[in-house]
Amino acid sequence: MKRLIVFLSIIFFSSAVFAQQNKDIVTEHYKVSGNCEQCKKRIENAAYIKGVKRAEWNKETGDLTLIYRPSQTSADAVLQHIAKAGHESGQVKADDAAYKKLPHCCAYKETGKH
Amino acid sequence: MNYKRKLLFSGLWLLVGLSAHAQADSTQAPKKLKEVIIKQHMNTTKVSLMKPMKVEEIGKGELLKAACCNLSESFETTPSVDVAFTDAVSGYKQVQMLGLAGPYTLITRENIPDVRGLAAITGLTYTPGTWIDGMQLSKGTGSVLNGYESVAGQINIELRKPFEEDKLVLNVYQNSQGRTEGNFYARKELSKRLSTGFFAHARSQWLKTDQNKDGFLDQPLGNQYILLNRWFYHAPKGFEAQAGIKGVYSTNTGGQWNYIKGDEQQAGKPWGYELNTKRLEGWAKIGKVFPHKPATSMGLQLSGVYHDQDALFGNRVYDARQKSLYANLIFQSIIDNTNHVIKGGLSTVLDDYDELFGAKVYKRTEIVPGAFAEYSYSYLDKFNLIAGLRGDYDNLYGGFLTPRLHLRYAPFKKTAIRASIGRAQRTANILAENMGYMASSRVFVIPSTANSFNLDPEVAWNMGVNLTQKFMLDYRDGSFGVDYYYTHFQNQVIADVENPGQVSFYNLSGPSFAHSLQAQFDYELIHHLSMRLAYRWYNVMSTFSGVLKEKPLIAANRAFANFGYETNNSWKFDYTFHWTGTKRVPATHMMLGFRSPSFVQMNAQVSKMFKNNIEIYLGGENLTNYMQHDPIIGADAPFAHGFDASMIWGPVMGRNIYAGVRYNLK
Repeated sequence: MKRLIVFLSIIFFSSAVFAQQNKDIVTEHYKVSGNCEQCKKRIENAAYIKGVKRAEWNKETGDLTLIYRPSQTSADAVLQHIAKAGHESGQVKADDAAYKKLPHCCAYKETGKH
Repeated sequence: MNYKRKLLFSGLWLLVGLSAHAQADSTQAPKKLKEVIIKQHMNTTKVSLMKPMKVEEIGKGELLKAACCNLSESFETTPSVDVAFTDAVSGYKQVQMLGLAGPYTLITRENIPDVRGLAAITGLTYTPGTWIDGMQLSKGTGSVLNGYESVAGQINIELRKPFEEDKLVLNVYQNSQGRTEGNFYARKELSKRLSTGFFAHARSQWLKTDQNKDGFLDQPLGNQYILLNRWFYHAPKGFEAQAGIKGVYSTNTGGQWNYIKGDEQQAGKPWGYELNTKRLEGWAKIGKVFPHKPATSMGLQLSGVYHDQDALFGNRVYDARQKSLYANLIFQSIIDNTNHVIKGGLSTVLDDYDELFGAKVYKRTEIVPGAFAEYSYSYLDKFNLIAGLRGDYDNLYGGFLTPRLHLRYAPFKKTAIRASIGRAQRTANILAENMGYMASSRVFVIPSTANSFNLDPEVAWNMGVNLTQKFMLDYRDGSFGVDYYYTHFQNQVIADVENPGQVSFYNLSGPSFAHSLQAQFDYELIHHLSMRLAYRWYNVMSTFSGVLKEKPLIAANRAFANFGYETNNSWKFDYTFHWTGTKRVPATHMMLGFRSPSFVQMNAQVSKMFKNNIEIYLGGENLTNYMQHDPIIGADAPFAHGFDASMIWGPVMGRNIYAGVRYNLK
């Protein structure tokens, strides 16, 4: 039990340290178009390029939380990559060819959602 | 408006699910609600922090990690469940939770009791993995809504719903041990309200294998066919109905290599094993939501089972028939607001058993009507309480009360601490649950009066505490869980194999308990690479003829590791490692009692999903090819008194390589 507590506290402590110490990390929010659970997977997968630590898209709000290392990539590069997968953001329009390939439930332009 | 709708819909859910996991976000929603509630894809196993009871949600993704094949095999990647062979002849495996045998776990199909009675062991093979939408596993006594039987926990299986998700699923499987399997699922929406799903399964074990060279087939030859058809009707005004029917036909012929069905069973002839099963199940659920009364609903669950099996173990005949009926009526409402939910209802279970064992007939007709009530209280997201009580009257054993209590406290946002305590009672079906011992020359010592077992019902108290802690480390998610459960038997039907050449059944006299401690750690090591580490410890002891001993054939220690990696272009890699500790093996005529060695097993699988929704998988089980040497004691003289194929502590089958194809039409 004692070991367990030590083990746990190391995890918490280290996560806190990680979060605070690393200066080369920024957290930003962007609106990205999509509708469903499938889009979530698509958007998040497209967002994970080199330098991205975490990408989480909220399908209710359309909000993408992006955590990345500015020394390795830029928000623009990530959003470009997402647009290539067919999902547009306020900053980058999706290209039509990619949009047409989206699964049915992700056709955000038709349903008018987000 | 939105709030009202949500309320209504969650009410609808409760009706459809009528569930012990009633607080859970159910996986089903009527079709018309799709725009409101979007189903969460559960790719692996998840434990929610919000539910009052700790529930492991085992999603389709987890089931796919072990491509094979049915329920008993689908727990290979779940540390909470142990899977072990019942004997070295039948090929059946049984599950174990909290150190207690499979029958102590209530296994339900969409919250209707399913794997029980005569099918307590074999029933796990009647649900192919590809039919399953998801499973919920909870330890400890569950909700009183689902009856009084669950001692160790509940495993609920949700089948695919005909109004959502994949339209067609095909799966073909072949392994190196001569097993071929095909699964089929299709659904059709006949109208906006009416939908139907059709499920089919065929399996054949057509190759004789004897990897340990003991002259016995490692698993019997045989075929299994299962068909299932279900219907959903979403009527207007909050009314909903569903019904289903399922048929199972299964044959097994095994034993010694040269045995041919019908051979005379006497010394000098090949020893034979047969198990032929016919089973028919039907069920219906009817639910009604009252749109003008918030969160108020009513539901009725009905089910019927006919199960007929003929078994032969050498010169031992075991033919049995079960007829069961089940009815459960649940009413749910709230007091003032949704922080106070009350549920109540009436239930009846009818079981009629007719068993022929050796030359003796055992009959039992058990009718248990009961009433129950459950109150749930929640305070913000911080605290939950579920208090339930049921009273049942058993025509054979009289009336009894079943109280149960569940608590949840969340001191922080990512932390949940839960506790539960409850009573459970069940009537043991000693023959069906101990079929493994029939594969031996052991004499069954059964106390009986006239045509019935002279044994008391099993009564147990189970209490547990658990902690779930989620965390984010270097921007990736992880969770840590530890749980401890203690089961105390007031009465237990002991299957005592301590005396060589015997298995005797009697009521417990003295202590019997099971301690179970499990720790599990899940973390995404790098993006798309998930890791699960688990360790569990049991201390299971019972009083055998006045002496308190460790229960035989149960590993006190077990370690588990699973790694899964998924690439962006849909390659999946999965690797599982198990370490099983030593077990106590009781003495037999031929051998003194001993402790079995600990052993390691590894499974791995690779799969690739192609653009056209075709997925190909290739995997291996028991990669180190570890086998229990001489699993059958006295294999050369199976009709002599030393023969015993039931002292199984390790894998009976060696390395198994399999491959298959899945096709999903969205």
